[in-house]
Amino acid sequence: MIDKLLIAFKSIGKNKNRNFLTMLGIIIGIACVIAILAVGDGFTKTMTKGMGTHNDSGRVTISFETSSYDDSTSGFTQNDVSSIESLSGVDHVKLDSSSQEASAKVQYKTKHETTSLNKAPKHLNLYKGNDTTIYSDDSSNVFISHGLANRLFKGGNALNRAMIIDGNVFIVRGIYKISDFNYRPDIYVSKTVFKQLFAGQITKDLARIYVQPGVNKKSVGKRAVKQMKKFGEDKKMGSYSVSNPDQMSKTFTKMMNYITYFVALVAGISLLIAGIGVMNVMYITVSERRKEIGIRRAFGATSNDIRSQFLIESVVLCVIGGLVGIICGYGLVAIINAFLPFKAIVTVYSLLLSISVSTAVGLIFGFIPSNKAAQSPLVGLLKEE
Amino acid sequence: MLKIKNVGKSYGQFQVLQNIDLEVADGEFLAIMGPSGSGKSTLINILGLLDQDYTGEYLLNNKSYKETSDNLLSRIRGDQLGFVFQNFKLLTTYSVYENIEVPLIYSKNEQHHKRERVEDVIEKVGLNGKEKHRPAELSGGQQQRVAIARAIVNQPKLIIADEPTGALDSKTSKEIMDIFTKLNQDGTTIIMVTHDEEVAEYAMRTVYIRDGKLYHDAKDVFKND
Ligand SMILES: Nc1ncnc2c1ncn2[C@@H]1O[C@H](COP(=O)(O)OP(=O)(O)OP(=O)(O)O)[C@@H](O)[C@H]1O
Ligand SMILES: [Mg+2]
Repeated sequence: MIDKLLIAFKSIGKNKNRNFLTMLGIIIGIACVIAILAVGDGFTKTMTKGMGTHNDSGRVTISFETSSYDDSTSGFTQNDVSSIESLSGVDHVKLDSSSQEASAKVQYKTKHETTSLNKAPKHLNLYKGNDTTIYSDDSSNVFISHGLANRLFKGGNALNRAMIIDGNVFIVRGIYKISDFNYRPDIYVSKTVFKQLFAGQITKDLARIYVQPGVNKKSVGKRAVKQMKKFGEDKKMGSYSVSNPDQMSKTFTKMMNYITYFVALVAGISLLIAGIGVMNVMYITVSERRKEIGIRRAFGATSNDIRSQFLIESVVLCVIGGLVGIICGYGLVAIINAFLPFKAIVTVYSLLLSISVSTAVGLIFGFIPSNKAAQSPLVGLLKEE
Repeated sequence: MLKIKNVGKSYGQFQVLQNIDLEVADGEFLAIMGPSGSGKSTLINILGLLDQDYTGEYLLNNKSYKETSDNLLSRIRGDQLGFVFQNFKLLTTYSVYENIEVPLIYSKNEQHHKRERVEDVIEKVGLNGKEKHRPAELSGGQQQRVAIARAIVNQPKLIIADEPTGALDSKTSKEIMDIFTKLNQDGTTIIMVTHDEEVAEYAMRTVYIRDGKLYHDAKDVFKND
C-alpha cells in the first residue's frame, strides 16, 4: 500500500502540468461544494440561533399594522386581550411589540437630532468608559454610540458631558461602537428610565395567543383576527393579520435554495467534466506505461496489484485536487462573506464530504482505465519498449 | 525442475511451436538457440508462466499451473522465477535501487530485510555505488547487471533469460556470462535463449529451435532440408 502510494506520487509528479490541468475541474467543483455548504450551514446556524426567541409551539401571534405613520400609539389594548381571551381554545394572551426601540430627540448645545433609544443590555463592551452596564439607580447615566457622539459633539470628547434627551438632562458615561453585523440603537438608558419615559412609546402591535393543548392554533389565530376586526379598539387605525414570523426566513430560504441548486449544478457539471478528464488522463497513463505494467507483472505483481495501483493514482490525483479545492473554497467563502448578511461557515462535515466526493470521483472514473491496465495480456505488455 | 510434453502454440492458423518435449533438471544451465522468429521467446514465455495460452503439458516442479489463478501465478513468478529480458526492460524513471526492489514490493515473504537484500545483489553483480543512478546513466552492460540483480533479488530457483547478451559486445557479454556461471554454480537453474555460439558455450547443454520444432542435437536441425 505504501509502496503503491509512493509509486503514485512519483508518476503524478512526473506529469505535473498535465495532471494539474486535469485537477482544475475537481478544484472548481470542490470549491463550489465547500462554498454552498458553508453558506447553507451559516444560514441554518443563524436561523436556529434566532429561533430561540420565537419558539412558536402552542401559540399563535397576530399583528397589528398601523395605517398612518405619525400615529405611533395604536395597537392592542388590555380590552383587546380580554376580548381575545374570551374566544374558545385560547388559554391566555400576552402583548408584545415588534420593535423594542423608542425614538427620542437629543440635543447638545445647538445641535439636535432624533435617534433610536433602548434600555441598556446586561453587558456591553464600551469603546470609552468604565462600566459594562447602566444600573437601575443610575437614572441620569446614558451610553451613546460612537457615531452619535461624533455627530453631536463634533468629534470632541463626549465622555462625562451632559446632553438633553426628550427634555431631560443625562450624562454620557460610555461610548460604544456599532459593527456592521451587530445592530444597536444610538442611545442606551437604564431600565428604570426606559420604563418611565420611553416604554409608553412602544406600541403593543403583537398579541401572542397561547392556545389550550390540542387546539388548532391556526384556526384560533384566524378567529382572533376576525374578533379584532370587529371589536378591536384601534381597528380604524390599522389592520390585523395572523403574523408568520418565519415569513422572511422562508422567502430567504427559497432564494437560498435556488442559489444552492444553481451552484450545485455548476459543481456537479465541473465534477463530471473533471471526472471525464481524470478518466482520459488515466487512459493515457495506462497506455504510456504498458512496459512498466509488463515488468511489474513479470516480477510478481498480480492483476489486482496493477488495478489498485492505477486506482490509487487516480484517487491520489483527485484528492490532491480536492485539497486544493478546499483551500480555494475557503477563499471563495471569505469573498462570499463580504456580501452576506450572515456568516458562511465551513464545517468539518463539509470538509469530509469534499474529500469523500473527490475520492469517489477518482474511484469511479479511474475504474475502467485501471481495469484495462489490469487485464492486458502479459505477453503483449512485455513486447512494449 | 521442469518438464514439458507435446507443447504447442499457435496464433490463429500460424503454428509457432509444435510437439515440443523438453526436460530440465535442477541445477542445469540450458541454452536455447535458433534463428530469429523460430519461437524461442514464445517457448520461454510459456516456461516462465508468462503465457498460459498453449496446448500440451507443462510441469514446473512436478506441478501443472494450467488452471492456476492469476494471483497465484503472479506470486510464483515473483518468488520462484527470475527473468532477464533482451532489452533490459528497466523502469527508466526509477533508480537502480528502485528497479532492483520491484520483485520485493510484490513478494509476500521478507518485507523487512529489503534493503539488505537489494544491497546484497548489487554487490553480487558488481554495481556498488550506482544505487541512485538512472538506467540512462549506465552502460548497456551495467544495465544488464541491474536486470540480473532484479532477477535474483528474490533468490529464485530458476532464471529465465531471453538473449541476455543480445545488445552487448563480446567483452561485456563475457562478464555477464561469468555472473550467470557463478549463479549456476550456486545452485540456480538457468534457461537462456541466445543466438551467439560463444555465449552458448557457457551452458551445460544446448537445444535448438527451428520453425517451431525443438531439436536436442545440432546435427538434427537441418536433417529435413
Ligand atoms: N502476437 C502474435 N501474433 C501473431 N504472431 C506472433 C505473435 N507473437 C509472435 N508471433 C510470431 O511467432 C513467431 C515466433 O516469435 P518469437 O518471438 O518466439 O521468435 P524468437 O525466436 O524469439 O525470435 P528472435 O530471435 O527474433 O527474438 C514469429 O514468427 C512471430 O511472427
Ligand atoms: Mg525473441
